[in-house]
Amino acid sequence: MALCAKKRPPEEERRARANDREYNEKFQYASNCIKTSKYNILTFLPVNLFEQFQEVANTYFLFLLILQLIPQISSLSWFTTIVPLVLVLTITAVKDATDDYFRHKSDNQVNNRQSQVLINGILQQEQWMNVCVGDIIKLENNQFVAADLLLLSSSEPHGLCYIETAELDGETNMKVRQAIPVTSELGDISKLAKFDGEVICEPPNNKLDKFSGTLYWKENKFSLSNQNMLLRGCVLRNTEWCFGLVIFAGPDTKLMQNSGRTKFKRTSIDRLMNTLVLWIFGFLVCMGVILAIGNAIWEYKVGTRFQVYLPWDEAVDSAFFSGFLSFWSYIIILNTVVPISLYVSVEVIRLGHSYFINWDKKMFCMKKRTPAEARTTTLNEELGQVEYIFSDKTGTLTQNIMVFNKCSINGHSYGDVFDVLGHKAELGERPEPVDFSFNPLADKKFLFWDPTLLEAVKMGDPHTHEFFRLLSLCHTVMSEEKNEGELYYKAQSPDEGALVTAARNFGFVFRFRTPKTITVHEMGTAITYQLLAILDFNNIRKRMSVIVRNPEGKIRLYCKGADTILLDRLHHSTQELLNATTDHLNEYAGEGLRTLVLAYKDLDEEYYEEWADRRLQASLAQDSREDRLASVYEEIESDLMLLGATAIEDKLQQGVPETIALLTLANIKIWVLTGDKQETAVNIGYSCKMLTDDMSEVFVVTGHTVLEVREELRKAREKMMDLSRTIGNGFTFHEKLTSSKLTSVLEAVAGEYALVINGHSLAHALEADMELEFLETACACKAVICCRVTPLQKAQVVELVKKYKKAVTLAIGDGANDVSMIKTAHIGVGISGQEGIQAVLASDYSFSQFKFLQRLLLVHGRWSYLRMCKFLCYFFYKNFAFTMVHFWFGFFCGFSAQTVYDQYFITLYNIVYTSLPVLAMGVFDQDVPEQRSMEYPKLYEPGQLNLLFNKREFFICIAQGIYTSVLMFFIPYGVFAEATRDDGTQLADYQSFAVTVATSLVIVVSVQIGLDTGYWTAINHFFIWGSLAVYFAILFAMHSKGLFGLFPNQFRFVGNAQNTLAQPTVWLTIVLTTVVCIMPVVAFRFLKLNLKPDLSDTVRYTQLVRKKQKAQHRCMRRVGRTGSRRSGYAFSHQEGFGELIMSGKNMRLSSLALSSFTTRSSSSWIESLRRKKSDSASSPSGGADKPLKG
Amino acid sequence: MDRTSQGCPSRWRDNTALKQQHLPAHRLQLSATKVLSGFFVTGTFCLGVGIILILSAKSTKEIEINYTNICANCAELRENTINFDKECTCSIPFYLPETMQGNVYMYYKLHSFYQNLYRYSLSRSNSQLMGQDIMDVGNCDLFGKTPNGTPICPCGAIANSMFNDTIILSYNLNSSIHIKVPMLSSGITWWTDKFIKYQNPNSNHLPSAFAGTAKPPFWPRAVYELDEEDVENNGLVNDDFIVWMRTAAFPTFKKLYRRLRRIQYFTEGLPAGNYSFNITYNFPVTRYHGEKSVVLSTLTWSGGRSLFLGLAYTVTGTVTWLASFVMMAIYLARKERMTVFPQQ
Repeated sequence: MALCAKKRPPEEERRARANDREYNEKFQYASNCIKTSKYNILTFLPVNLFEQFQEVANTYFLFLLILQLIPQISSLSWFTTIVPLVLVLTITAVKDATDDYFRHKSDNQVNNRQSQVLINGILQQEQWMNVCVGDIIKLENNQFVAADLLLLSSSEPHGLCYIETAELDGETNMKVRQAIPVTSELGDISKLAKFDGEVICEPPNNKLDKFSGTLYWKENKFSLSNQNMLLRGCVLRNTEWCFGLVIFAGPDTKLMQNSGRTKFKRTSIDRLMNTLVLWIFGFLVCMGVILAIGNAIWEYKVGTRFQVYLPWDEAVDSAFFSGFLSFWSYIIILNTVVPISLYVSVEVIRLGHSYFINWDKKMFCMKKRTPAEARTTTLNEELGQVEYIFSDKTGTLTQNIMVFNKCSINGHSYGDVFDVLGHKAELGERPEPVDFSFNPLADKKFLFWDPTLLEAVKMGDPHTHEFFRLLSLCHTVMSEEKNEGELYYKAQSPDEGALVTAARNFGFVFRFRTPKTITVHEMGTAITYQLLAILDFNNIRKRMSVIVRNPEGKIRLYCKGADTILLDRLHHSTQELLNATTDHLNEYAGEGLRTLVLAYKDLDEEYYEEWADRRLQASLAQDSREDRLASVYEEIESDLMLLGATAIEDKLQQGVPETIALLTLANIKIWVLTGDKQETAVNIGYSCKMLTDDMSEVFVVTGHTVLEVREELRKAREKMMDLSRTIGNGFTFHEKLTSSKLTSVLEAVAGEYALVINGHSLAHALEADMELEFLETACACKAVICCRVTPLQKAQVVELVKKYKKAVTLAIGDGANDVSMIKTAHIGVGISGQEGIQAVLASDYSFSQFKFLQRLLLVHGRWSYLRMCKFLCYFFYKNFAFTMVHFWFGFFCGFSAQTVYDQYFITLYNIVYTSLPVLAMGVFDQDVPEQRSMEYPKLYEPGQLNLLFNKREFFICIAQGIYTSVLMFFIPYGVFAEATRDDGTQLADYQSFAVTVATSLVIVVSVQIGLDTGYWTAINHFFIWGSLAVYFAILFAMHSKGLFGLFPNQFRFVGNAQNTLAQPTVWLTIVLTTVVCIMPVVAFRFLKLNLKPDLSDTVRYTQLVRKKQKAQHRCMRRVGRTGSRRSGYAFSHQEGFGELIMSGKNMRLSSLALSSFTTRSSSSWIESLRRKKSDSASSPSGGADKPLKG
Repeated sequence: MDRTSQGCPSRWRDNTALKQQHLPAHRLQLSATKVLSGFFVTGTFCLGVGIILILSAKSTKEIEINYTNICANCAELRENTINFDKECTCSIPFYLPETMQGNVYMYYKLHSFYQNLYRYSLSRSNSQLMGQDIMDVGNCDLFGKTPNGTPICPCGAIANSMFNDTIILSYNLNSSIHIKVPMLSSGITWWTDKFIKYQNPNSNHLPSAFAGTAKPPFWPRAVYELDEEDVENNGLVNDDFIVWMRTAAFPTFKKLYRRLRRIQYFTEGLPAGNYSFNITYNFPVTRYHGEKSVVLSTLTWSGGRSLFLGLAYTVTGTVTWLASFVMMAIYLARKERMTVFPQQ
């Protein structure tokens, strides 16, 4: 592991020669081994101690310890500090060690993954960590790329290879990478073993989309770009194998360079706690000063004369100096106001809460067999304060599975399934799926529940046939048939895959294609269509067409595309069908399905010839080729005959809409940040009920320039203001909202506005001068969707909200592209159980279903926050009650830093007598049962508003503590000053007083914790009664004859307990103190319950009343919304693939067949593909981003 | 990942109430009946206890005579350390109007004497006092050893400053007959102090047991000469010494000095009449601006004539009662308006 840690000077350029380890070793590049752990066995102790003493509190206690070793000021024995300190340090060290052990384990697991490395001409299995720069490694399909590689060759023609980069940038569509031509021939191992090219390239950096380098081989230079690179974290798809040359390894890879160092996250309670501790220090110093002044005055007035009986210490020469010393003595005595066990107790509680999360069976995903995991144990209570959730879309909200769900053919809708009750049935309850056994080529995994569609196909309904024919012809899918009948489709987008697969199962099997033909098995007979043209898809056109000639010689154009576009280009004769289809489309869109409209058009021979001629000219044009082509396409794609529509379900993760609805009710704002396209994102927004038709307005910001964006934001704000004015004025509306707070808990908060913003607009909106404007607008909206955002922008958005809103943010995502946002947000949640684990590794919490978020926040988070707040309140209270007694006693003991209690009591008070009951409360307490917090999401609000523990609450606790300490001192004082024991001896000796005060303190704080504990489990009982019992046991043991006999100078209180506690007066004093300390608290709470109950009180009270009425409780009903007219179009497709097919570049063909198509230079298509891609990335279509709703 | 996937099935089975946070528990609810009845009960209890305490405290008799200034000449004499060996006695006559029934206890009371100073209260050696190691002067600091290095026994500031006035109470039947009231000096300490905490070194002959030690500087005689008549009361187990060594919590304190031996005239207690305290004035208090008194008192079960506890209880009881009435009123007024969620 030590190998990983090597530090090197920054590189200027990187040189790597293939198959030459000796040469590459000269540069000492980082190995492929990854290290995230902090310690090893030797360094653990010093490093960990060093880190621990960086905590202010620990250093403070060390400082105290040193003070205590100075005899002149030592007012307490050294062990009162060292025992707790050692305990605290040990617990923390054990926890750190365990954490690091797991880090070692996960490092090892990644480092020990196997990969095939070409060594000395043979492929050998090597662990990832042993892969070096300059090695050639072989990757197989669906494997993770082990390091940043230069692609050399692959199983596909022309050195093509497909990768999924979801882990890196979150984009789900497949990407193409290509080896440079000279290396793409290096297909077999013997050739590769001889390959000795040298790559000189840029030093390691974190830019995912840029790479520049040069390959020197056989005295030739070849320039390399990102198109030739496979980055660590990608997954090889649809490619049997490929070879790559390792350029960057381990920490130098772009993935690791992007992940950065994990920042230590602190919760707001942590920060508040630190502030409070500082205040307490200040308070401590003040008390010290007061008492020191008191001491100086006392020594001056009384002490000097009392010197007969007690001369001053040799070092003390004046009352002033005595006061100075007494300051330090009092600092030592009063140090317990800053509770040493506070930090460690907080950690213990959080650890307990983390285990509850890990154990929760309701957050355990049976399907993936993954439990929820709290990877960070220090953030739990912050889960109860979340105000903003930033969610990724793909893989988080959706499963990234497209399912052909419904279709409308010739005005007839298929695909609806009803169960007996007339509800849309869940998967398990559905009847048997349609049997596709008639079709040997059917895909077994395809499921469809409406048998009428298959009947229609079997009946030979021409429309249905034409519908599926279109689906089997009009696409850019590649097929692969390894064995007869074993068809594999390589679809560029999952939508298209779903459509072609649907056609396949309904008997229209797309079998294979050549650049000029498509062969389809139509109901068992093979028919080969001549492919005349592919009118490719792009974001402006939002449609694609193919022109084919069937065996009969007829030419037909098949077109599929967005309803908004296609419905306008239909032939007027189809009006009636159009209406029916439109109704269906609305219905589908309302269900959140992604719709496409299908149409065809017959072409006559002459027209086509003439059109083809024009198209060729347009494609050869030097200037504005794109526009010309577009207009040529547009011309032919008119007067189409409507066939029908398809509806694809972008499968949401389970329970997403419900979760979002519930979280919205809990006043949490949800922002979706996705790398996906706007249509897709908006579509998902609707299907998961973030966007609803009840919304007054959905603002779409797509401006390309700063001015446009600013203008659009301004308009949005103006509109919101206007609208709220028309509702009545905004003020009364707001007032109504707050007054009806309680009763409206269950009603959905009126969803008013939503904002959709595009990546390029976001780039402007995030600039320094506009970010506030953007934030204001966005925060006024109920839902915000940002599309086409880069990982960096995701982090920026989170950062923006963090910066200005002072709200707790939570980011949830599943891919490597979410890592930055997960790390930036206060709380990062990773979706586990997916292939990639980057997000999980960076996250603080992980689970496998988005829906668990509601439980994590509303149950675990809420409880954690509640418990932590109650814990802190009580903790400060008990320490003030304990410590301040010394302060009052100071006025009666000449400010001589005399303690009220026995020093053993001081040592044990915090760590034994009062620690466990409050820990039990901090771990187990519940105010309302978990079901209630889901039913009444408003219960979450106190956390967001930070109501349960803030500076005000802190002062109340402190005041209560001080009040208690006053009574704790002055009641026994009043009694003892005069009274005698029942045998006539004096009562008011110091030791009896100490025992009386200590006992009443322990009893009072125990009663108080009893009141604070809302949920008395057996453990609470055990700890509270146990603590009392232990107190008395230890008291009697310490005051026993035996211990005194052994250490007479240490255990000075011999016989005290039995003598003091036998006195009725003492017990009467203790009872009185307890009553006077507790009664006001009870009265206060009772009155608050009656006069100003908060929501959880009301919920509890309701429960109580309900229980009495023995009423049954019914589940909360959620109203499903149906959508109104809008477009459900969304298609995750990329343009350029049509050209790829027509050129035949991605097909295995004989060179003869190929030669007829390769008219252009071999790399031109990929060039244009890349160009188009970058175009669409930098300036996506204006037309595509029209407002969604009028 | 391996860890989680292997761990989960077992975790799944491991489905206890504790882990699922479903432990059976009692939910604490401040219901009106509980709180209000609790308040009434507490109030009644406090009032009852308070009244009983006041009544019993009232039944005791107590006489306190501050003799700091009455014995002014002695006080002046003691101002100067040079006169430490000059004896000074002083007689204080007083009249007891009523008989003091039952056991009567005599206390000395010191004002503004800080036995609770931190360094003072530590200035002792328990191992020496329990006779374990007579030479151990552990924490005794300045009073540990004499200038020539001999360990002091008993060492420390506490022992050194021991109260050493002698107070004798005499009953004046008439102007000529003065009867010395019989007093017991035993039974004025805790059993644990007398028999565990303080022990003379093992030796038949006390003076030789303390050989090699010096007397505390302020003491007129050595520790083994404290009570030469009674061996059980001599040396480190001397009752007056033990009482003094149990340091007081506050600067003003009274310590038990003697208790009445109920014989002859005094079987019923102290009869009414003329008495006088004959005090051998040794302990200087004016030097530190302190005062001293002598107290005669009878007792009840709750201790001496202290009204504080009784009053405190009465006040608490009354306030609790008042509070419970107010709370009840508020509760009844608000009860109708208490929000309950409608049944869904």
